[in-house]
Amino acid sequence: MIGILSFVLPVGLWSIVSYVPAVWHPQMMITDPGSVGYLDVGAHLARDAFEGEVAAAKQEARAAPKGVPANPIYLPSPGEVLKAFYTSFTTPPETKDGQWLHQSLWHSIRIIFWGYVISSLIGVPLGILCGAYAALARVNEPFVEFFRYLPAPAFGALMVAILGIYDGPKIAIIVIGTFFQQVLIIANTTRKLDPALLEAALTLGTRNRQLLTRVVVPGILPDLYRDQRILLGWAWTYLIVAELIGTTSGITWFITQQARYQHFPNVYAAIAMIGIIGLGTDMLLAVLGRHMFPWDRSLVKFA
Amino acid sequence: MVQRTCLLLLAWMFTPAAGSAQAAPAPLRIGYSDWPGWVAWQIAIDKGWLRDAGLDVKFEWFDYSASMEAFAAGKIDGDCLTNGDALVVGAGGARNVMILITDYSNGNDMIVARPGITSLKDLKGKKIGIETGLVDHLLLLDGLKKQGMSQDDVTLVNSKTNETPQVLASGQVDAIGAWQPNSGLAMKALPGAHPVYTSAQSPGLIYDVLTVNPASIAGHRADYIKLIKVWDRVVSYINDPKTQDDAVQIMSARVGLTPPKYQLLLAGTHLISVAEANKIFVKADGLGSLYGSTQNADNFNVRNSVYKQAQKIDGYIEPALSASLP
Repeated sequence: MIGILSFVLPVGLWSIVSYVPAVWHPQMMITDPGSVGYLDVGAHLARDAFEGEVAAAKQEARAAPKGVPANPIYLPSPGEVLKAFYTSFTTPPETKDGQWLHQSLWHSIRIIFWGYVISSLIGVPLGILCGAYAALARVNEPFVEFFRYLPAPAFGALMVAILGIYDGPKIAIIVIGTFFQQVLIIANTTRKLDPALLEAALTLGTRNRQLLTRVVVPGILPDLYRDQRILLGWAWTYLIVAELIGTTSGITWFITQQARYQHFPNVYAAIAMIGIIGLGTDMLLAVLGRHMFPWDRSLVKFA
Repeated sequence: MVQRTCLLLLAWMFTPAAGSAQAAPAPLRIGYSDWPGWVAWQIAIDKGWLRDAGLDVKFEWFDYSASMEAFAAGKIDGDCLTNGDALVVGAGGARNVMILITDYSNGNDMIVARPGITSLKDLKGKKIGIETGLVDHLLLLDGLKKQGMSQDDVTLVNSKTNETPQVLASGQVDAIGAWQPNSGLAMKALPGAHPVYTSAQSPGLIYDVLTVNPASIAGHRADYIKLIKVWDRVVSYINDPKTQDDAVQIMSARVGLTPPKYQLLLAGTHLISVAEANKIFVKADGLGSLYGSTQNADNFNVRNSVYKQAQKIDGYIEPALSASLP
């Protein structure tokens, strides 16, 4: 319930700014250009410039321009964005080789999925080993620490050279952006395992691999699962830069093309779609987590 | 139950996509991006003219600079670029030769000034927002030179081209330099703003070309000649009043604009037929020739440290393919 409220507040604020002219509306949208040659219907003009034109027109007894207060075009109202949200799904692809929006979105989801899976296949075991064996961590972590500061998009041209122009380099950027954080975060989680558990296991005669597979991994599993959820969100944040590499594809094609021609309601709608997919997946994973780890109390969130 | 759902979801993820990744690589791959002279290829693609000509060519849509990266990495055979940028790619090590001139900007590139400034001369001592080192910087210098002025007479504020509309509207500069749609949006964002110099006053300053990997020409010479022939068909289809509406419809759909809005962008682009191109391919000084124009771009690039070593222009231009057509 409180979760819903956290959306009501910002959207409410946005609605007020959009629908109550007294709050902001620094421009006038022209409804009738009157005698002013350079104005068109639908053009936006700063309010003081508009008033200047009206005063000048009155003084010279010409037809004064008319307009209504408006926000700049880069801040569309919630209603416009909602409408764009709907129409962008129902608009068929305009070219023969074009894609429906849901196809583009699905393409993006697959990029994220593969980037995340590849990163996790290596990052999770490595993270656990680094957390469990201090020697391995000392060998490995300084480099990982160094690499995680490098901006993933900077590897774009290199990845195109190695992996081609289609999905390969995009997935690689997601992997680079996620993997190094993943190793460190999971290593840290592993280190936080209750030492009492380890001591008890050692006392009972557990050794080496058994210690890892029977004690460490089961012990950190709920925390590991939560880390992975956070890291999935991390992977999504690299999507836009990743999809600009090589051929333009996915939801990024839609966002950049709409932004280039200043169709901002569509841009915000697409951003909202990413948010909804992200939050939706996370909530789903949280529910799954509660089924898988009923003993973990920190997962009761989002109930 | 939960496990079943997960498995199902996984299986779904693993099913091959119908998308581009799995498509068999075509013998020839060409990059194109959002500029009217290159979006025009969409007509040939949608109408199946490439197949009709017996060509197996795949056009790949890129962000402009991403297409340069892909070409530089040798992942595509050809790319649609400006002649100046063909030099930039070549100076970086990706040898390329221009075999087809698609168009020149005929008004789409503009220096847009705020209301109250009526000519380039008025910009003396004023601030101009421009992305330095790119084509509209070249356009500005060309305009200033005609007025007997130079870059020292103005203050350049380096601005991303797609942000120039906001930069001009902010009132922090007196003019901006940009190409369409940014130049048009800048005039919309600040009513009363107007162009004081455009590429229409300097035709041939920037030629847009199809430039290809020389190794690819060696193996596909006949294919490229066919492709140039298809281009001629595209140009006539756009220029013919009977078919222009359909052409504009296809092009506007590609970029997500309405046809009337696209008509404006097209008007600022002078598309070049093969017959006209063959005249531009004749070696001469001055902007009427691709050689002269490219030399001018090379001088500009070196002066602005885009690259250090002046390029040998002759090696970048291959008129023979176009010339083999009537």
